Amino acid sequence: MTSTTIAHGEPLLQVRNLDKSFGGMKAVDDVTLDLRAGIVTTLVGPNGAGKTTLFNLITGNLARDSGEVEWLGQDIAGGKPHLIARRGIMRTYQDLRLFDSMSVWDNIMSATEYGLLPMPMSSAARHRRKERIEEVLERTGLSDKRDTRALDLAYAERKFLSMARIMATEARLWLLDEPASGLDPNSYERFLKILRDDREAGTTICIIEHNLDIVIGISDRIAFLDRGRLLADAEPDTVLNDPELAKIYFGDQS
Amino acid sequence: MEAYIFNLLNLIAIYGILAVSLNFIIGYAGIYSLAHAVFFGLGAYTSAWVGLNVTPSTFVTIPAAMLVAAIVSLVLALPALRVRGEYFVAASLGLQVIAVTVFSEWKSFTGGIGGVLAIPPVNLFGAEIYQPREFAIVSVIALLIVIAITLALVRSSFGRNLRAIRDSESAAASFGKNVPLIKTVAVVISAALAAVAGALYASFISFINVESFMLDTSVLLMAMVIIGGTGTFLGPLVGAALLLILPSAISYLSFLPQTEIGALQQIIYGLGMTLLMIFRPGGIVGRRSGT
Amino acid sequence: MLALQLAVTGLQTGALYALTAVGFSLIFGSTRIFHFAHGATFAIAAYFFYFVFQAGFGTVPAILGASAGAIAFGLLIYWLVYVPVQRHEGSFFTVFVASFGVGIAVQNLLGMVFGRGFVTVNTSLSRSSEILPGLYVAPLAWVAIACAIVFLGALHLFLRHTHTGMALRALSDNPELVRIFGLSPQRISAIVFVIGSVLVVPAAIITSATTGLNPAIGHHVMLISLAASIVGGIGSVYGTLLAGLILGLAESMALLFVASQWTEAVTFAILFAFILIRPSGLLGRATAH
Ligand SMILES: Nc1ncnc2c1ncn2[C@@H]1O[C@H](COP(=O)(O)OP(=O)(O)O)[C@@H](O)[C@H]1O
Ligand SMILES: [Mg+2]
Repeated sequence: MTSTTIAHGEPLLQVRNLDKSFGGMKAVDDVTLDLRAGIVTTLVGPNGAGKTTLFNLITGNLARDSGEVEWLGQDIAGGKPHLIARRGIMRTYQDLRLFDSMSVWDNIMSATEYGLLPMPMSSAARHRRKERIEEVLERTGLSDKRDTRALDLAYAERKFLSMARIMATEARLWLLDEPASGLDPNSYERFLKILRDDREAGTTICIIEHNLDIVIGISDRIAFLDRGRLLADAEPDTVLNDPELAKIYFGDQS
Repeated sequence: MEAYIFNLLNLIAIYGILAVSLNFIIGYAGIYSLAHAVFFGLGAYTSAWVGLNVTPSTFVTIPAAMLVAAIVSLVLALPALRVRGEYFVAASLGLQVIAVTVFSEWKSFTGGIGGVLAIPPVNLFGAEIYQPREFAIVSVIALLIVIAITLALVRSSFGRNLRAIRDSESAAASFGKNVPLIKTVAVVISAALAAVAGALYASFISFINVESFMLDTSVLLMAMVIIGGTGTFLGPLVGAALLLILPSAISYLSFLPQTEIGALQQIIYGLGMTLLMIFRPGGIVGRRSGT
Repeated sequence: MLALQLAVTGLQTGALYALTAVGFSLIFGSTRIFHFAHGATFAIAAYFFYFVFQAGFGTVPAILGASAGAIAFGLLIYWLVYVPVQRHEGSFFTVFVASFGVGIAVQNLLGMVFGRGFVTVNTSLSRSSEILPGLYVAPLAWVAIACAIVFLGALHLFLRHTHTGMALRALSDNPELVRIFGLSPQRISAIVFVIGSVLVVPAAIITSATTGLNPAIGHHVMLISLAASIVGGIGSVYGTLLAGLILGLAESMALLFVASQWTEAVTFAILFAFILIRPSGLLGRATAH
C-alpha cells in the first residue's frame, strides 16, 4: 500500500467523465467526482440511480465504457479488482457477500490477508493483528459471536460483520454500499460511532445511503446522483437548500 | 491372509491419498472435479516411464509424476477459473473422457490398452520394496505426509482464501485476493498429490493399464469424498476405507457369483450417495446439515 | 460421397442427440434440477424396449414398455429423490450427487439383469440400402429424423399454445407464478419430468436398433446432453436442440479427419471452446458475473 501523504480535504480519488451503459441504458453518465482525504462523502440518489454501478467502476468489478479514475494521481481505471483493493481502496457490498461458511473471526482474519502463501510473521506482528481484530470485534459488538458462522448471524450482525471486515484492513478509502439500511436505532448509533472514529483516524469514506436523514449528521459532502448523472457535489447545506434536488429527492421519498 | 490385509491397507493408503487430494478442491475450493483419475493415471504412467527408462529411484519417479500432473492440471484449471457448478462438472467430465482416449491411444507412453508391464518397485536408496508388508510402511507414510500437507494448507491463510473464494469470489477479490491464481494453485496441488498416489500404485502393482484410470475411478473417488464428508479431515479417509472394504465384505456375506461383486458394490455406493444427500448431506463425518 | 454419407449419419445422430438433450435441458431449465440420471432414463427405456421386443411381443408393446419404464423412472426419481433433497437443502451439488448416485445404481442393476455386453435389436428397418451410388442409408435414419421433427414440434406447440405449457415456462422465472394457472409448482415439475423422460424414448429405441446398447450408455447420453445444453445455452430449449444437431453432425463429420475413437473428443473440444469463449452458449442469456 502506498503511503503517499495527502493533506486533509485534498482529492484522494478522482473520477473523471466516467461512463457506463447497459444495453443502451446509461447507468453512469459522465460522472466527475472527487473523494477527498479524511472526510465522509455521502452518495445519495433514488433506487437505480447508478450508485452501486459507480462503486463497481471504481473497484474494477465492472469495466468502464470511457472516463478515468485516478488514485493519488495514478490512473487505475480498468485495473483488476484485487489489484485496486491492494492499493487501499476497499468496499462493502449492498448484498454483503460475507464468507458465509466461515466463522466471524475467520471472515475478519481473511479480509486482512491476501498473500498466496502464508506470510511469515513475527510474533509481535501476529499479536498486533490479533489485537486489531479484537478491537474491531469490540467496536462492532461481535465479540461474543467470534466463533459463529457468518450464515448463522442475525441481520444487523451480518451488516456489522461486513463493516468489521473492512475495518480490520489498512484501507485508506472505504466505499460502503448502503451499510445502514434496515438497522434499528441502537445499531444505528453504533454504526455512526464507527464512522466518526475512523474518520478521526484519517480514513476516507464514501457511503451510499438512500435515506439522507440518517447520514446527514456525519456527512462532510453530499454527492447527488440521479439516472446516472451527478446533479450535485457540495456541502450538505448547499445540497439540501437546492429546490431542484429537493424535488427529486423528496419526490422519491413520497 | 496377512498378505491380503496388507494389500488392502496399501490400497486404502493409496486411495486415501486420492480422496484427501480430491477433497482439497471439492471441500475447500468448491471445485467439483470428475477428472481426478486423470491425474492418478498421469502419475502412474509418468513414474512407470521414468522408472523403466531413466532411473528406478523413487526420489526421481515421484517428483517427475507430480510435475507432469501439475502441468496437465492447468487444462483443468482453465475452465475452473471461468465457470462453476454444472459447467465445470461437464468440463471435467470431458477432460476425463478425452484422457481415457489418450491413455488408450498413446502407445509409446502408456502401452495402449495392454498397459505397462514390469514396472520397477519402490526404490529407496537402492533398496527395493515390493513386499506388501514393507510397502505398507511406505504407503502409510506417504498418506500421512499428504494429510499433513493438506491440513497445513487448509488451516493456513491459503485455506481461508480458498473458502472465502468459494463463498464469494467478488468479495474475496475486493479484499485483494488473486482469485484465478489461488484457484489454479489449488488445482495444481491437488493434481500433484494425486500423482503421488499414481506413482505408488504403479510401483506397487507393477502393472498398469487404462482400466484403472477411467471415469469409474473418478466416480469412486468422488463417492469416497462425499460419503465420508466433504470439507472434513477424516471424511475422505473414512470414505476410502469404507468403499474399499465394501467389496470384500460383500464377497464374504454373499451368495452372488464373483463377477457381480463389483456391480453390487457400485449399486451400494450409488444408493448410499443418494440416501446421504436426502438424509445427511454433510456425509458420515460431516456436520448434520448445511443450514 | 463419403462426406455426404457422414452428413446423413450425422443428421441421424444429431436428431437423437437433440431429442435426448432437449429432455435434459427442459428439466434443468424449468425446475433447476440437475437431472444427471437422465442418462439412466435413456438406458431404462432402451433395455425395456429390448426386453419386450426380444421376448417376442412385437414392436408396439415394446414401445409402450419403454415409455412406461421411462415415465415411471422419471416420476419416481422426482418424488422419491429430488423432492426430499430439495426440501432441506437442494444446492446444486446435493441434487447432482443424489442424481448421480441413482444413475450409478441403475447402470449396474441393468448390467446385472441384462449382462454387461453389447446388445442390438435387429429390425427390418435397421438394414441399410444404397439410395445413391455409394450412399447407404437405413430406413431408421429417416425414422430418427421424423421422430425428432414430430416430437420437438409437438413440444413447441405444447410450450407455446397450451395452458400447461405456459405455466411450465413460468416455472423457472417464478415458481409461485404457476399458481395463477391453477397448478402447484410440484405438479408442474412432475409434468416436466414426464415430458423430459418421454422425449428420450424414441432416441433410446432407435439407438438400440442401430448402434446398440450397453449398461454404460447412460454416461455417454449424459455427456452429450450436458454438452448440448451448455453449447446451446443453459435453459434454452431451442439452443439445445440446435446444439444437439450440431454435435451429432460434428461427431460424424469429424471422421473425415480423425479416427473413430476420437469422435467423443471432438464433442468435448467443442464444449471446452464454448465454456472458455462463450459460456452463455449459442442462444443463452448472457449472465453477469
Ligand atoms: N450488471 C448489470 N447489468 C445490467 N444492468 C445493470 C447491472 N448493474 C446495474 N444495472 C442497472 O443499472 C442501473 C443502476 O443500478 P445501480 O447502480 O445498482 O443503482 P443504485 O445502486 O443507485 O440503486 C439500474 O437500472 C440497474 O438495473
Ligand atoms: Mg445499489
